[in-house]
Amino acid sequence: MLLYVLKRLLTTIPVMAIVALFVFSLLYLAPGDPAAVIAGDQATTAEIEKIRQSLGLDRPFIIRFAEWGVQILHGDLGQSLFANMPVRTMISERLEPTLSLLVVTLVLAIFIAVPMGVIAAWKAGTFVDRAIMAFGVFGFSVPVFVTAYLLAYVFALRLDWLPVQGYTPISGGLLPWFANLVLPAIALGCVYIALIARTTRATMLEVLQQDYIRTARAKGLALPGILFVHALKNAAVPIVTVIGLGIALLIGGAVVTESVFAIPGLGRLTVDAILRRDYPVIQGVVLLFSFVFVLVNLAVDLVYTLVDPRIRY
Amino acid sequence: MNALNFEIPPGTAVAVALPDVLPAVKPRRGFIGLIRRYPTLAFGSAILLIMLFIAVFAPVLWTLDPTAIATSRRTREPSLLYWFGTDMLGRDIYSRVLYGARVSLIVGFAVATLASVVGLAIGLISGFVRMADSVIMRTMDGVMSIPPILLAVALMALTRGSIGNVIAAITIAEIPRVARLVRSVVLSLREQPYVDAAIAAGTRTPQIILKHILPNTLAPLIVQASYICASAMITEAILSFIGAGIPPATPSWGNIMAEGRALWQVKFYIVLFPAVFLSLTVLAVNLLGDGLRDMLDPRMAKSV
Repeated sequence: MLLYVLKRLLTTIPVMAIVALFVFSLLYLAPGDPAAVIAGDQATTAEIEKIRQSLGLDRPFIIRFAEWGVQILHGDLGQSLFANMPVRTMISERLEPTLSLLVVTLVLAIFIAVPMGVIAAWKAGTFVDRAIMAFGVFGFSVPVFVTAYLLAYVFALRLDWLPVQGYTPISGGLLPWFANLVLPAIALGCVYIALIARTTRATMLEVLQQDYIRTARAKGLALPGILFVHALKNAAVPIVTVIGLGIALLIGGAVVTESVFAIPGLGRLTVDAILRRDYPVIQGVVLLFSFVFVLVNLAVDLVYTLVDPRIRY
Repeated sequence: MNALNFEIPPGTAVAVALPDVLPAVKPRRGFIGLIRRYPTLAFGSAILLIMLFIAVFAPVLWTLDPTAIATSRRTREPSLLYWFGTDMLGRDIYSRVLYGARVSLIVGFAVATLASVVGLAIGLISGFVRMADSVIMRTMDGVMSIPPILLAVALMALTRGSIGNVIAAITIAEIPRVARLVRSVVLSLREQPYVDAAIAAGTRTPQIILKHILPNTLAPLIVQASYICASAMITEAILSFIGAGIPPATPSWGNIMAEGRALWQVKFYIVLFPAVFLSLTVLAVNLLGDGLRDMLDPRMAKSV
């Protein structure tokens, strides 16, 4: 097992290196010359050239990439072009809202989607199944900002049940924190719920045909026990996989959801950075999210052994 | 006289003789049969055709100039004069929404086509050239581990906003998925007896790819392409919405919603109309994809 973890960690290294190369190329190819910006309008070509040399911008791509890589490994993501602040500080300041949003969405989605899929599979072919599957298609089709605006309009503006916008830090109380996150989490989670529910239904359909399910029924076990313990355990691997892969959807969607609900998180930081062309910040955020995604998939592989003891490494 | 050659007492009811061969159960063919068997396909294509019609004939569908700014008629509520109201700059939202169909459809179809073609090529190479396989697949893994929207956003930050750049950025983000799909199909097809037979018969590799492999990858590829089309439409809208997509003056559903963003609490209709059109179109493409999957790939349809 430990050997497998190490091996699996090693295989993520080339993937992360490619991500890093991609992200570095982004900065390398970015229009605009940092040296010219620093030198100012009055600078002569020679002065700009001097600054370029002092910054090391004249050296070959590979060497700059290697140096940048070493910097990244030390946790240094560079300096923002506009805020005059290290990118790392900017990211860590905005981390809590985004992390809260993602975690709440993840938990809500799993607790809604998995039972939905299980029930759809159990009631396969009936009205309940069709309704759940129809929701699945809609969840896939309605873009996250559309759901976000509709939810905000109905539940916050019209019914006034929940706050319209904004974010309360977790230190400001658990309830206000949660109240601010419910609508964004549901809006963001819609696609994700549809995805998980569809996969759950598909795998459960197969599992429910197995002999041991019939045996359990014949023994007279209670239905919820059969569905959620016997069957779900055996259907868990594809479900866990899709939960992991879907995190990419959540990360992309978070950027939009944060804009709609005015949540001061990494998504907002990204949008602001794009509008100002603050390349180091864009680079830092993309790099961070991609690494998180790679690690999530690693974690998913390891969770397999927990949910399905038949899988051994 | 009857066939059995005996007298039937008068007044007896006689069953009509059965024909020798029962008429074959004929599934309805043609257009109506297709609609009956694949309702999602029919429904999806119908909505999509309407959107296509709107996109093509936008100038004659009682629209005004979608970019004409008129400060005298800012943020009017929907009325008989301005069906969907006007935005902050006094532009007619009905006109902008109708013209916006063009951007969405162009981006959706262009990305689906380009990503399929490039992904197909990469997948075929990866599936057939052992040496290239691991390098290509690790690269694809790397690209895939950047969330697609973030990747598109990052690429858009490099260039200026234009429809061509948006298409290119989304295409790059979608290619790995196609390449992986094609590769997996190729790898499983290579194990098929008929491919072995072709190899044994001395068929050259290009011939095998063209005649035996390619036709079998088309069905899953077309299904995948329709899903890519749907997700490209959403991504374009998201890019435009956060200001990294099509230039703001161009009417696109994402742009209209971006303009409504500041005012959505008081002027909800500005975001509502483009949102409805976008959702309907994406729904249509997804239904089309589901229908195509049921039609072209019955095995896959059963499992999902």
